[in-house]
Amino acid sequence: MEGIIAIWQRDIIKFFRDRARMIGSFSMPILFLVVFGVGMGGSMESLVAAGVGPEEDFNYVEFIFPGIVSMTLLMTSVFSSLSVIQDRDFGYMREILVSPVSRVNIAIGKMLGSASVAFIQGVMMFVLMPFLGITIDFVSFLQVLPVMFMIACAFSSLGLFVASLLNSMQGFQLVVNILVMPMVFLSGALFPLNNMPGWVDFLVTLNPVTYGVDLMKHIMIDVENLSAMVQEEMGLNLTFFGQPVTMMGEIIFLLGFTTLLILLATLSFRRAND
Amino acid sequence: MVRANTYVDRMGLYIKIVLGLKRSEPGLIDVQNLKKSYKSFQAVNNSNFHVKEGEIFGFLGPNGAGKSTTINILSTMLKPTSGEVTINGYDVTKHRNRVRESIGIIFQENTLDEKLTAKENLMLHCKFYGVPRLKRKARINEVLEIVDLKDSVNSLVEKFSGGMQRRLEIARGLLHYPKVLFLDEPSVGLDPQTRAHIWEYILRLKEKENITMFLTTHYLDEAEISDRVAIMDHGDIIAIDKPKKLKQQLGGDIIEMTTTDNEAAIQEIKANFDVVDVSLKDDVIYCKVENSDAFVSNFIKTLQTPLTGLDIRKPTLNDVFLSFTGREIRD
Repeated sequence: MEGIIAIWQRDIIKFFRDRARMIGSFSMPILFLVVFGVGMGGSMESLVAAGVGPEEDFNYVEFIFPGIVSMTLLMTSVFSSLSVIQDRDFGYMREILVSPVSRVNIAIGKMLGSASVAFIQGVMMFVLMPFLGITIDFVSFLQVLPVMFMIACAFSSLGLFVASLLNSMQGFQLVVNILVMPMVFLSGALFPLNNMPGWVDFLVTLNPVTYGVDLMKHIMIDVENLSAMVQEEMGLNLTFFGQPVTMMGEIIFLLGFTTLLILLATLSFRRAND
Repeated sequence: MVRANTYVDRMGLYIKIVLGLKRSEPGLIDVQNLKKSYKSFQAVNNSNFHVKEGEIFGFLGPNGAGKSTTINILSTMLKPTSGEVTINGYDVTKHRNRVRESIGIIFQENTLDEKLTAKENLMLHCKFYGVPRLKRKARINEVLEIVDLKDSVNSLVEKFSGGMQRRLEIARGLLHYPKVLFLDEPSVGLDPQTRAHIWEYILRLKEKENITMFLTTHYLDEAEISDRVAIMDHGDIIAIDKPKKLKQQLGGDIIEMTTTDNEAAIQEIKANFDVVDVSLKDDVIYCKVENSDAFVSNFIKTLQTPLTGLDIRKPTLNDVFLSFTGREIRD
């Protein structure tokens, strides 16, 4: 137990010490907010207006904001988890592996460390809300926090598992290109994914980001007050192989995903012994 | 839980005594028939050795001899292919965590977190090893005192010099009061002066704590300070003994000389003097004699071939290695 805390604490101390990283990691989400929110916002809104009628009050920025926060969670989680590769290269991993801390606690500690860092970054994104002209009520804010942490845990365990497969930091850029960006684009975070070809739909269904984004949207956007047409157009009615997706179902999916990947990452820490 | 474990340990001990299986003098480290092979490569070949409590045990050999593989197996980082290894009575494959609690390791490469302060590095180590919360502060002060780093406790490790980082690692390795301290090439990459300092600290530690130390090195002078040395080459342990004994086995002191005519001088030495061995290498004549003090005064007086240089030295472990393998240790 104490081992988990120690490994977690190390990540937290280093995060607050490295201000440049903290600020730098905002650049990508802000860029996406500008590109998608301002750049595409107008045409998206007029498309929706053309589809469902101009009387609907639809705000595209409000729609993508939860998506951008999820993207921040995903990127920060995965990048933080990949720091175990650096630990392996720079030797600190040996200090941990030769200690009596159990391998599963090493994986959990590292996962919680990355998730906490991502969570803090994600919460800091809410500071941007007034500048974007969107609001969130206090109850929704309190509801979305635990969900964000849960999502960060899922993404961190994914990052940890990927890190266990990579041998060097060279693979880092590859992971960003072939994993992280497609996961963002195939999640409905930035634009609705309606009427996709079957194989794309399949990837979307298995993508954990899809459910993280959807959960956040349902909490942060006043979905019930949107017309059925807008809900449909904006991809808020997800299905899981034909079954309509419930919020509870999404939570179970994310928790299961986290557990599975933590176990896989643990196995790889074990294997380091042979 | 703890009580149950000691009970089980006790029972095990009694059973061993009753069955007469208990060795007369159990070592702190017992290695029997240890083998480690990779696909086509035998890294460690049937090693056997025992390290006693309070001993400094040196592992000497060139790079690639199997020293690091051995230390990795002893420290539970690597599984042996076969053989039995126990540390402090615990089997390194079956009771890994018990072994891990019993040992401290100073790795060849730096394993500190440079973005953290000295104190933070030490505090994390206390937590990994479950050092009781109330004892942590005192222990950290204690180990920093040993390595003279008390003034830098709150500095970032990246600001430390190479020697300071090494010292901090040694301090960290001691925090959980290990029974054995493993030092894998502890002074590699340090300048000679810092190396000397590091050894001062290690020896001071040995005096103060009577800690058992297992060290690997390819520096001969470092192996000399060991109580016993195992010489390893190509995965085989080719000799284990006290450094003094190993050198005595060579049969005496070494006289190196240069003359105006080496061939003639060798003929003359073989004919007129009582030497154990004489050989020529790179235009230098090497004579092995039983007692150089008695030999040399008479030698200089009576040798006909003019000498241009003469050097008498006691044998080093390099000579031991040379006599066993026919190669220099630094090849």
